[in-house]
Amino acid sequence: MIETELAIVGAGPAGLSAAIEARRAGAEVLLIDENSRPGGQLFKQIHKFFGSRSHKAGTRGMNIGTELLRESKELGIQTWLNGEVCGIEEGHKLWVVRDRSRSEIVKAKKIILSTGATENAVPFPGWELPGVMGAGAAQTMINVNRVLPGKKVIMLGSGNVGVIVAYQLLQAGAEVVAILEAAPKLGGYGVHTAKVSRAGVPFYVSHTIKQAFGTDHVEAVEIVKLDDSFKKVPGTERTLEVDTVCLATGLTPLTELAWLAGCKFCYVPVLGGHLPIHDDKMHSTQPDIFIAGDISGIEEASTAMEEGKLAGINAACELGYIAPEEAEVRSREIWDSLNSLRSGYFGQKRRDSKVSILQKSEELISYFKAMII
Amino acid sequence: MKGSLKTTGAPSLEELHNSPAYPTNEQLRKGPIAIIECIEEIPCNPCEAACSRGAITVGENITSLPKIDFEKCIACGACIAACPGLAIYIKDYTYSDTMALLSFPYEYYPLPQAGDTVQAVDRHGKYICDGKVIRVQNPKSNDHTAVITIEYPNEYFEEVVSIKRIVIS
Amino acid sequence: MCDEIICRCEEIYRSEIEAAIEDGAVTVNEIKRFTRAGMGLCQGRTCRRLVERILSEKTGIPLSEIQPSTYRQPVRPVRSDLIQEYNNKDQKED
Ligand SMILES: Cc1cc2nc3c(=O)[nH]c(=O)nc-3n(C[C@H](O)[C@H](O)[C@H](O)COP(=O)(O)OP(=O)(O)OC[C@H]3O[C@@H](n4cnc5c(N)ncnc54)[C@H](O)[C@@H]3O)c2cc1C
Ligand code: SF4
Ligand code: SF4
Repeated sequence: MIETELAIVGAGPAGLSAAIEARRAGAEVLLIDENSRPGGQLFKQIHKFFGSRSHKAGTRGMNIGTELLRESKELGIQTWLNGEVCGIEEGHKLWVVRDRSRSEIVKAKKIILSTGATENAVPFPGWELPGVMGAGAAQTMINVNRVLPGKKVIMLGSGNVGVIVAYQLLQAGAEVVAILEAAPKLGGYGVHTAKVSRAGVPFYVSHTIKQAFGTDHVEAVEIVKLDDSFKKVPGTERTLEVDTVCLATGLTPLTELAWLAGCKFCYVPVLGGHLPIHDDKMHSTQPDIFIAGDISGIEEASTAMEEGKLAGINAACELGYIAPEEAEVRSREIWDSLNSLRSGYFGQKRRDSKVSILQKSEELISYFKAMII
Repeated sequence: MKGSLKTTGAPSLEELHNSPAYPTNEQLRKGPIAIIECIEEIPCNPCEAACSRGAITVGENITSLPKIDFEKCIACGACIAACPGLAIYIKDYTYSDTMALLSFPYEYYPLPQAGDTVQAVDRHGKYICDGKVIRVQNPKSNDHTAVITIEYPNEYFEEVVSIKRIVIS
Repeated sequence: MCDEIICRCEEIYRSEIEAAIEDGAVTVNEIKRFTRAGMGLCQGRTCRRLVERILSEKTGIPLSEIQPSTYRQPVRPVRSDLIQEYNNKDQKED
């Protein structure tokens, strides 16, 4: 068995930022990730990021990742790669399978879960055919493994993920036949849709895929128009020849470990569904478990990094490495920055949802306090 | 929001003319200027810092729309590759009697070469006319966003914004 | 409408899940036990939300009220000797 003060599960932007803050404060940190390389989603993001200058905007995601890695190396943060956290017991005991070949138990005083998210699927007849995949999977193939999943791609979903991956597929040399959106309005940032449009990719709003055809691989899809109540309109079917179908239909927080740990959950559709309730220190409802990043609601790398810092600082504070007053001042600064990221046409809804989660956590805390009294 | 951006993916001229950064017809034809097609409130502001002349303002609230002061802009081009949305380009109506100039961001390989004839396209990627590549700038500081400058017939001045991707067959 | 697979790991079709609901399944856990949807290699990562949606559509229970199926460790597919190894190590601790 291995003992550590702080174990962090998931080395994406949230986990790395948390590790850096906590280690810098002096805490003993063990960072665990199932991949052979840390960075989470960042190394797939070859595009320049949005955000403010203080969030490294204008820098390509992968370079932000490299920067975080450099810092974590300089601080000598102990990192287990190829380490799958398979379970959590008694609130502080992690079961880690290392290199797929041995089981290890890690006992940590505090745990930060920063496990990110999984892609949502949309079923239609034929979606089990090879060639149908998540947009994130296609992105991993082109940007990490350097393999083109196909030559003629159709993208289902026009949110930022769909549009960015479509752009990167074009850059990788594929043809993007169309981007479909079930809603009557496109979801992604206008500047992203505009650059894909300029490249000649047609967008179809109020459309979805009815079925995919092919014998041992996708060869074509039938698309169909949707009415105002998202019902398929008969007679509007059209067949498009494609060899790859990418699904970019949202993400769901990867919360399995938080459920196992007994964290209380709430359901917030804007942030991706069921997610662990947390307070303004990123504390879950379990005393020694913090959460940060996409697990606490699907957002962006910039917000994930800020939430990671919050969790890292407050975990280090509870371990006695940062004075509570200092932790509070620094947390407040981070909240200012989070609030500015969560504003405007796209961000305000997320901000309102986050406020509702914080309220839930306060209600719970006062409820439990009342029970004790 | 009615109009083209949220249904076709690209802004219409009407939407652009109604946005705070887009130049008036007069400003547009006066000489070389930077044009920003960023008409949605997103949390983003690198364009502001990229301009050493202080011509671009986003302001305290990072979701505000960028604005540009055409008196201050000298069309140096520093903002083009700094914008993660690839939403800024430079146009010059006065380049010659019949030809206009366009400098735009381009992130596909292979890059065109100076002297090449390319297919100029509109905001929907539709072929509009042929253009000729004048320069290709790709310094390290651009971090792989090349800036391509083409000349093209000025009768298509407002429509043309980019070129067709060069596909190796 | 032609049928479609919902759980790709166990190859469970929409019609089978709907039949389970008609037979009285009212939770995702029950659907899982009736049909095996969500019991495959990915442990429901792909189909979990699809099953929740079908359940909500068929029964009228709002999505917000539908409890996800129970999570159990290991949350990743692991070799069975590693489960044994974990249990041994775990017992030594106690
Ligand atoms: C196509 C695309 C484009 C994007 N573009 C932008 C953008 O322009 N700007 C922006 O700010 N954001 C962008 N994002 C979003 C951003 O990438 C995510 O919000 C961010 O990566 C979330 O960080 P995270 O640390 O929470 O999770 P992740 O980056 O997903 O990291 C989680 C890590 O935890 C690991 N893990 C999970 N479970 C376990 C376990 N049980 N054991 C061990 N390891 C585990 C995972 O393998 C992963 O490495 C984009 C996302 C996508 C998909
Ligand atoms: S072209 Fe140069 S001067 Fe004009 S706005 Fe851009 S950076 Fe500023
Ligand atoms: S950098 Fe580009 S995308 Fe960002 S605000 Fe400025 S113009 Fe818009």
